Amino acid sequence: MGAFRAASGAAERSEPDLDSLLTHVARGDAGAFEAVYDQMARPVYGLIRKVLRDPAQSEEVTQEVLLEVWRTASRFDPARGSAATWVLTIAHRRAIDRVRSETAAAERELRSAAPPPTAVDEVAERVEASLEAEQVRRCLDGLTELQRESITLAYYSGYSYPQVAALLHVALGTVKTRIRGGLIRLRDCLGVSL
Amino acid sequence: MRFFWRRDLHALAGAYALNALDGAERDRFERHLRGCRACESEVRGFAATAAALAMAAAAEPPPGLKQRVLAAAAVTRQSPPAVAGATGAAHRRRPRTSASRRAWLPRLALSAAAAGLVAAAVLGGVTVWTQHRLTTAQAENQAIAAVLAAPDAQIASARTSAGGIATVVASHSAGSIVFTSAGLQALPPSKVYELWFLGKTARPAGLLPPARAGRTAPVLAAGLAVGDKVGVTVEPAGGSSSPTTTPIVVLTLSA
Repeated sequence: MGAFRAASGAAERSEPDLDSLLTHVARGDAGAFEAVYDQMARPVYGLIRKVLRDPAQSEEVTQEVLLEVWRTASRFDPARGSAATWVLTIAHRRAIDRVRSETAAAERELRSAAPPPTAVDEVAERVEASLEAEQVRRCLDGLTELQRESITLAYYSGYSYPQVAALLHVALGTVKTRIRGGLIRLRDCLGVSL
Repeated sequence: MRFFWRRDLHALAGAYALNALDGAERDRFERHLRGCRACESEVRGFAATAAALAMAAAAEPPPGLKQRVLAAAAVTRQSPPAVAGATGAAHRRRPRTSASRRAWLPRLALSAAAAGLVAAAVLGGVTVWTQHRLTTAQAENQAIAAVLAAPDAQIASARTSAGGIATVVASHSAGSIVFTSAGLQALPPSKVYELWFLGKTARPAGLLPPARAGRTAPVLAAGLAVGDKVGVTVEPAGGSSSPTTTPIVVLTLSA
């Protein structure tokens, strides 16, 4: 996330570098882990909450994710991407695992009135007014409607791409190419470099 | 034909990076990824892009989470780094299967948590039980110890909507769980906390004993099936045969 990070956060500049913090976490440094928590708990929780909606489940999965970061910090490889990307990839996978777990249906039945899935526009509207969020919103606005909807339904609402195709009434292949095309445009707009 | 097939796979890079592929297709793409540097670099860029989407969704986590996460980390053993040679290709590109990501996770967490549960079993209730119940208690303790020591034992823990924390240790090989809680809201005598196995249907798994000093003594329940979650509801005294209220907590186990 190199350039994106450099371009986007005065706030981040004053914080210890997450990549080197993880190196210390891998050696069992609890203080470094606390610093990682301070930097990553908000995006991790926010993302999981966006996907799962249910606050109690979101908190549970957030805790699992942050513990996984603690446990597996030694597996983080800076050559493959930034620490923030690594942590948020774990968070999204865990959230999706939860969404798709076989007993999700049984659980939903037991829980009272589950909220409806995130409306696409709502996601764009609710993003915080931080610099990153502004930039992301601006770049999302630069996508075609189908690209934007495909990406937000898949990423923020946790739908598989065949489900996205069904929701948008378009062919599977169309969703596939719109997601990829949209991500390329987003990546370039955000100035993500490797 | 092969050309089209490969092009088709390439197009999945976006959906893959957003975790929008299901089982078989994801596996197929990952096999392709191992031999395709261009795809790997594209997936990395997409992952970083997705991370930016995540940053934009940041939200304040509930108070108390930090303390719980740090406390859990303090009693959780870390996994060793992958050492060159031992993992070969796996090191170069971690395959993303639930099994490889998960298999070791619960076990490492378990030793400390299990020790805590055993301590709870001993201090929380067992020692104050009357002599004539001691044999039953010992048998139950052995059964609890068997679940805690099972090679496939896993632990799940979560805050409940009635306050406090619920913890379950589960073993599919033993087909049993051990449940304990701390800090649950006290109930009037007309109500009781009931434990459930939540599969396609909810199956009663026993009643929680009244808490002592805020903790409930470990409850052993047999009849765990693969895919079950474990939930707790508030029921009329004596318990119900199926849940009548929304669970205060649902704990997810891996298969």
